[in-house]
Amino acid sequence: MSEAEAPVAELVAVRKEYTAGAVTALAGVSLQVGRSTFLSLEGPSGCGKTSLLNLLGLLDVPSSGSVRWNGRDAGRLPERERARLRLAGVGFIFQRFHLLPTLTAAQNVELPLRAIRRPAAQRERRVAELLDRVGLTARAQAYPHQLSGGEEQRVAVARALANGPGLLLADEPTGELDRASADTVLDLLVSAHRDSGAALVVVTHNPEVAARAQRHLVMRDGRILSDSAAE
Amino acid sequence: MSWRQAGRELRHLRFQTALALCAIAVAVALPVVLLSVGGGVVAHELDALQHSGFQIVVGASGLHGISSTHTLSSRIGALANVRASSPLLSLPLTVFLPGGGEAPVLAEGVIPGPFLATASPQESGLFPQPLPLGDPTDSVHFANGTYRGPATNSILLSSPLATARGIGTGDRIGLSASGNRSQTTEFNVTGTFGLPPSLLGPTGAFVAILPLSDLQLRSGTALSGSGALIDGSDSIEVALSGSAASDSGAVASVASAIQGLVPYYDVATQDQQVAALLDAESVLTGFYLALSSFSLAIGFVFLGVLLVRRVEALRAPIALRRAVGVPARSLAGEFARTAVALGAGGAALGVVAGIVVVRVLAAYGSPAVSAVAQLAVFDPVQLLGIAAAVVAVAMLLSLAATRAALRLSIPEALR
Ligand SMILES: Nc1ncnc2c1ncn2[C@@H]1O[C@H](COP(=O)(O)OP(=O)(O)O)[C@@H](O)[C@H]1O
Ligand SMILES: [Mg+2]
Repeated sequence: MSEAEAPVAELVAVRKEYTAGAVTALAGVSLQVGRSTFLSLEGPSGCGKTSLLNLLGLLDVPSSGSVRWNGRDAGRLPERERARLRLAGVGFIFQRFHLLPTLTAAQNVELPLRAIRRPAAQRERRVAELLDRVGLTARAQAYPHQLSGGEEQRVAVARALANGPGLLLADEPTGELDRASADTVLDLLVSAHRDSGAALVVVTHNPEVAARAQRHLVMRDGRILSDSAAE
Repeated sequence: MSWRQAGRELRHLRFQTALALCAIAVAVALPVVLLSVGGGVVAHELDALQHSGFQIVVGASGLHGISSTHTLSSRIGALANVRASSPLLSLPLTVFLPGGGEAPVLAEGVIPGPFLATASPQESGLFPQPLPLGDPTDSVHFANGTYRGPATNSILLSSPLATARGIGTGDRIGLSASGNRSQTTEFNVTGTFGLPPSLLGPTGAFVAILPLSDLQLRSGTALSGSGALIDGSDSIEVALSGSAASDSGAVASVASAIQGLVPYYDVATQDQQVAALLDAESVLTGFYLALSSFSLAIGFVFLGVLLVRRVEALRAPIALRRAVGVPARSLAGEFARTAVALGAGGAALGVVAGIVVVRVLAAYGSPAVSAVAQLAVFDPVQLLGIAAAVVAVAMLLSLAATRAALRLSIPEALR
């Protein structure tokens, strides 16, 4: 399989245990996330959804099994390497926004661009473009505490898109938003996925999200219970 | 992250930041006070030494002091380039006052002429001139070692003594070395003199000056029990004439000529005394720095704890940066900037606090403390050195914070 055909990210028989094996969060999960797919992931609290996303996004290291990115075993690379891969390869959107409180909306969006050492002029242009995309041009200089929850999450989406990653991972991105904001954020994610061709994995309890996804997974007790792609 | 950003982060943890700044400021203030005051006192002493009216001191180690003082002093006075040779004898005596009271005084026996000639301009301004102690050479009473000549029995009292005890020119007082009223000799108070401001406060404020031969007779350092000549004194101050006084080669050659006369006495030039003083200063500076390093260590412990605590307080933002993929060296740079801001801010505060403390002591301290504090000199190079050292250690400490930040588990911090 050439790199171009390989899944963006792949779990192979992954187990994840916490507190020295006392908690098993993932009990042997295999999953391929193909290019440009939109995958939704559902399951009761504690079934291992966040753990799965963290492993897919190289934020955490599997207890056993392997994590592959574009066909390459990346799950156990040193943190420095994984950080480098994350910077260009993945955009995270967390349930609780997780903007940097001391940075403005624009500076939050700029963070990954700075880290990848884009020249200032390019950064400025890209930040303007991204804020325009999420409809927050007017709020560029606002601090997170001055933004509504929906606005904060839109800033987080813009930040996740900054370096043009091939993989977008959203962990219950609308869990704490009202209906209207949730729709806006979701539309942004879906259109970003469609426009950029990035694979999108969304953890959600929202049936509407699941309905829009190409592929739907249900998890239970650290395992994948059903996968619409397999049916 | 920029410096402005570092500032905003610090404001975010205001209380901790204020505590760490205070700890460093206090730590820095101590060496600032010690070094400025210590340096100031030494500079003052050096200045006094360099502006004193004499260049060479003859002293005697051991109990007995200098003997045959009158003869020795005139032989020294006859050497080339010597302008004046002034022996001094200091002893505690009891003064019995006309009203019946008594007071302990420090009595100084001098030869009036050379005494004024070896005084610095500042000192000689404090005395009536010529010194109203009779025979300026003290040779009439001394009478070639017989002490049979007519004594003037004149004495000068320091103005603090005269004021405190209500004595003035023209009064008669009794003087006794044994403190026994029945063994007093009567003296005429022929004048009073001011005292130079002293670093040691009121000690030495009760001073009496009288002719050397008179004091020798009172204290038993004139003749021995068997009648043999002692003619004792503690030291002889030697002033050189004209340009020789400021020529260290000339001073050294006169010193060696004097040493040739009295191989068994100590002959010290002012250059040697300056060197000894500078030696003492460097020892003191080392001591101050050792003392200060203790307070600095406490300040650094505070800063270290704060920096590591910040990692705890900022777990989520740090984990978020790392999740995004911000490289470790950017995080390290961020912590270094924070540490430098705290270190430099604390050091600046500490320098200001130290200067304020010294100024307040100078203005409102007790007289002795105030006198010392007024001498303080603030050496910018030294102050910058302290600040630079603090900043350097702060940067080292930031490495500990970076380590803690990189050990943080990202998924746990973002839960
Ligand atoms: N860092 C951790 N330490 C210990 N247990 C953990 C940790 N993270 C998750 N868990 C446990 O692992 C299981 C799966 O958690 P998680 O992946 O967060 O599930 P979900 O996102 O589906 O709610 C849960 O039982 C949770 O309590
Ligand atoms: Mg979860």
